[in-house]
Amino acid sequence: MNIKQDIIWRVWLTFGLLSLFALAIMFYAFKIQVIEGSKWKSMADSLVSYKNIEATRGNILDCNGNLLATSIPIYDIRLDLKADGISDAIFNDSISILSSKISNLFKDKSAEEYKNILVNARKHGERYFLFKNKIDYNFVKQLKTFPIFNLGRFKGGFMVEQESMRMMPFKHLAMRTIGYKNEDNTRVGLEGAFDKELSGINGQRLMRKISGGMWMPLNDENEIEPANGKDIVTTLDVNLQDVSEHALMMALEENLADHGCAILMEVSTGEIKAIANLRRKLDGTITEDFNYAIGDNTEPGSTFKLISVMCLLEDGLAKITDSTGTEGGEKKYGEKATMRDSEPGGYGTITLQRAFEKSSNVAISNFVTKAYGKNPKQFTDHIIKLGLNKKLGLQINGEATPLVKTPDDKKIWSGTSLPWLSIGYEVNLSPMQMITIYNAIANKGKMVKPLLVKEIKSFGSESESLKPIVLDEKICSDATLRSLTTLLSGVVEHGTAKILKNPNYTVAGKTGTAQVADKNKGYTDKIYQASFVGFFPAENPKYTCMVVINNPKRTDKNGMLVYYGASVAGPVFKEIADKVYSTNIDMQKKTLDSTFSKAKIPIIKTGSIHDFKTICSSLGFNYVYADADEESDYVNAGINDSSYHLEEVRIHENRVPNVIGMGTKDAVYILENIGIIVRLKGYGKVTQQSLSAGTPFDKSTIVELTLE
Amino acid sequence: MNTKYTNAYGRNIDWFTILLYAVMVIFGWMAVYSSMFNLTGTNVVFDLSKNYGKQIMFLGFATVIALVIMTMEYRFFFGFSYLIYGVVISLLVGVLILGDHTKGAQAWFRLGDFKVQPSEFAKFATAMALAKLMSPFNFKLTDRNNLMRAVGIIALPAILVLVQNDTGTFLVFVSFSLVFYREGLSGVFLAIGAMVMVLCIAALLVKTMLLYIIITSLTLLVLLLFRRYKKLLGIVVLCWMAAMTVVTGTSYAVKHLQPHQQKRIMSLFGLEVDKSGVDYQKDNSIMTISSGGLYGKGYLEGSLTKGKYVPEQSTDFIFCTIAEEFGWFGSAFLILLFIALIMRIIYLSERQRSRYNRVYGYCVACIIFFHFLINLGMAMGLLPIIGIPLPFISYGGSSTISFTILLFVFIKIDSHRMQDLSR
Repeated sequence: MNIKQDIIWRVWLTFGLLSLFALAIMFYAFKIQVIEGSKWKSMADSLVSYKNIEATRGNILDCNGNLLATSIPIYDIRLDLKADGISDAIFNDSISILSSKISNLFKDKSAEEYKNILVNARKHGERYFLFKNKIDYNFVKQLKTFPIFNLGRFKGGFMVEQESMRMMPFKHLAMRTIGYKNEDNTRVGLEGAFDKELSGINGQRLMRKISGGMWMPLNDENEIEPANGKDIVTTLDVNLQDVSEHALMMALEENLADHGCAILMEVSTGEIKAIANLRRKLDGTITEDFNYAIGDNTEPGSTFKLISVMCLLEDGLAKITDSTGTEGGEKKYGEKATMRDSEPGGYGTITLQRAFEKSSNVAISNFVTKAYGKNPKQFTDHIIKLGLNKKLGLQINGEATPLVKTPDDKKIWSGTSLPWLSIGYEVNLSPMQMITIYNAIANKGKMVKPLLVKEIKSFGSESESLKPIVLDEKICSDATLRSLTTLLSGVVEHGTAKILKNPNYTVAGKTGTAQVADKNKGYTDKIYQASFVGFFPAENPKYTCMVVINNPKRTDKNGMLVYYGASVAGPVFKEIADKVYSTNIDMQKKTLDSTFSKAKIPIIKTGSIHDFKTICSSLGFNYVYADADEESDYVNAGINDSSYHLEEVRIHENRVPNVIGMGTKDAVYILENIGIIVRLKGYGKVTQQSLSAGTPFDKSTIVELTLE
Repeated sequence: MNTKYTNAYGRNIDWFTILLYAVMVIFGWMAVYSSMFNLTGTNVVFDLSKNYGKQIMFLGFATVIALVIMTMEYRFFFGFSYLIYGVVISLLVGVLILGDHTKGAQAWFRLGDFKVQPSEFAKFATAMALAKLMSPFNFKLTDRNNLMRAVGIIALPAILVLVQNDTGTFLVFVSFSLVFYREGLSGVFLAIGAMVMVLCIAALLVKTMLLYIIITSLTLLVLLLFRRYKKLLGIVVLCWMAAMTVVTGTSYAVKHLQPHQQKRIMSLFGLEVDKSGVDYQKDNSIMTISSGGLYGKGYLEGSLTKGKYVPEQSTDFIFCTIAEEFGWFGSAFLILLFIALIMRIIYLSERQRSRYNRVYGYCVACIIFFHFLINLGMAMGLLPIIGIPLPFISYGGSSTISFTILLFVFIKIDSHRMQDLSR
């Protein structure tokens, strides 16, 4: 072989080998990238991935900014018991101290138990051992200082994982309405209805896996920043809610009732200030697991009579002074149906007003059948015009679908439908719908939609306020309104709800006692639904309140079942209304004192007897102990001709004292000392106090003093 | 001298090679940019605090050097070959005394913010010196003195880089042996070399004592079979001694290698599994390459690249970025680019009239080929992890500039090939 050929051969060989090599390496790359791709890919996916960064969920606030629901960080503690820094020597040396420190911190297990847990976990070589679940940051901070744990994440195997937990600072208060996550992971109440606003938008962060199964962010910043959820400002007032729930709970227990609800609504805005829903479980404990106020559709009974009377008045078919007989308290409609009044023997011949006040079923149905017997559709059209056949469209889910029977629906409309409809049967309404109608009467005919959330606040951008929605500008004429208010006031003044009559504020409302159809058994004698709905103060209504209590089973001392609206639901109403009254200055009547008249001697402020005597003796004025003695601390100085008549200012427990005439310092001292919150208006001495002396009060009662 | 060619400037320049070069450096820069690309931060191309910013600067500098080379007197390189070699050798010695330690290697001179790695420049200097040595018409590698001198020229820098713990560059110097083959060295030497390598690998894989037994048994078998050929006896015994020496030497060397090198070699053969260490690194590299699939995840979309799982991803493991983001098609394109460049250089070398040019050209082809081979082999887990850049692609000032010099000196002397006297 000559050299030239040899060289050419070598060059070609080189090219050939290079080409082969190129093919080989390309094939190898193909093998890795395509053939074995899935194997490596699954390995790769476990190393780098986009992880969600949960956006902080928004808070739910009450109308005064109190937190009703909020998210707080909680921590899980995991241990890597095979971490590099835990040698046998270190572990054995520290385990006893560590266990006793942990035991001291949590106080749930003995040091020995903790020691066993840790020793076992180490024996099994646990590298991701869940040691503590859902603990708060203070515990984490302390744990970090303990031996072994203080070596940190890698050496000591101490891993802290943050989660967030939803917390309701007021615990069960309005729990169902505020909402929570159900067992099936759906959210109920406001949490569910405003989930989109509350949850915000999760961010994303590229994380890489590092040894020990931990994930570490790759970059300093997040790839997608989480947008935190917005805050929901509800219309609820924690104090009123508290009172409502407490009152309702007491009523359920006292009356051995199944369940009940109470709603408090602000008249002009429709804002729901309190909404309580409670059920008494078979074992006697009280729980809140269903929103009866909006989801419980029952025949309302007598409270519906307001609507019947409204129709009669609006259509000009009756006046409240018209009369009818009560047929001895019993009237037969057809063969089987007998309508009865609660008063055996009936009420004789009574006016429409009296019929309403006494809640005579026979009389009201007489009026209605007389007026609409020929054309019942006119009556049902009226009801439908009020929107009672449709859901209100509230801000939360769970509204029951109402039912109003009409003559159009031949299958369910019968000859007895009209009279029974007139007294609140043959119609299914939720308490929320009923209170909406009553609120419209209180609101001068303007029907507003109940409002639960009034503002959606977001950090850094303008908050969105949710205005009250007017469902109907005027549901009836002013004349009708006046008549209806008279009727409703009459119920409390001299009707079925006399027990609600009180000197501080006026109430207008209606009792309801309905027989409830048991789902399985139909109407029985035993199951009643007691309700009361009304507004106060009657002359200038601020709040409407409805209380419904289902199946009260208490019997009185004669063995008679106590089930009337006034006696069962009334007390709850009263307790709520009292609370509203005591915390709402606008509602408190101005109590003027007439002590001050023109006198020959100067007016002396009410004050301490010691000060008073000093002043009188140095200026030479006379005084007599009229209703006071040397032992009195504070006296009130009345003027009789040219001498002072001293009356002792008595401070009774739970009664507002009289501070009129006192100086600001003394008045505030006395009132705040017994737990009354004082608001001041003007300068000088007290001329008016918003709660008159002797009024009972409780914590957080506000009294406004007018100074001149 | 033929004036016709000197005046027609550019006509003889091999633009195809320059085109390949340009495609590679641009592709390379894109990969470097992606490797250092930060999803959230600002990514200013000329950010000199980032590798991709610096790489632009290096490429600019390399371009200037390439232009300078193209305008220089072409005979300069031939004339100053030994001087350049001498300067680089003294730098290699100097770096041992004055250099910086980086990643277990003492191979860097610090110049302000930049670090210069003389071993990179040793490659083209050695290529020049070797070409110069072999350029005389009467030079024959079969002559033992000539061979010793040639081996000496390679061995001197090779040993110096080995002392610096720069194993990768050392292996590149071994590649010069391919040049000898082209220049008439018997294939027997290559065969011996291959045998030595097989023995070395065997020494790592098999227990030394077992290997002794196998080698001795084989030798005895050969002796038994060919006992009539008395002449062979001595050679066989010599071979046996040599083999035993290689095996002993290898196992001894492995024990005395740097711990991280030991681990890498062991891990390659699956002898040691260390999830947090070397094997992990290898797996991560393969995983990154693999995750690209057939079509890749798209430019700047490589999540594992973003994950910075692979260390040195803008330098030694740049292939991972390309493979992940451009998929198998990207990998194949890169491989074809390299094979095309190497073949082109061999083709150009073969057309040279001067032996200096040809030898130099072969050296260039070998150096690039070895870098390419070791780098991809390492990235795909076929070879131990040896820090060695992918020419024209990897980030790095010294390597970018030295490879540019290496290639452009060849392009320059090739453009003047007609002016050389034929052999």
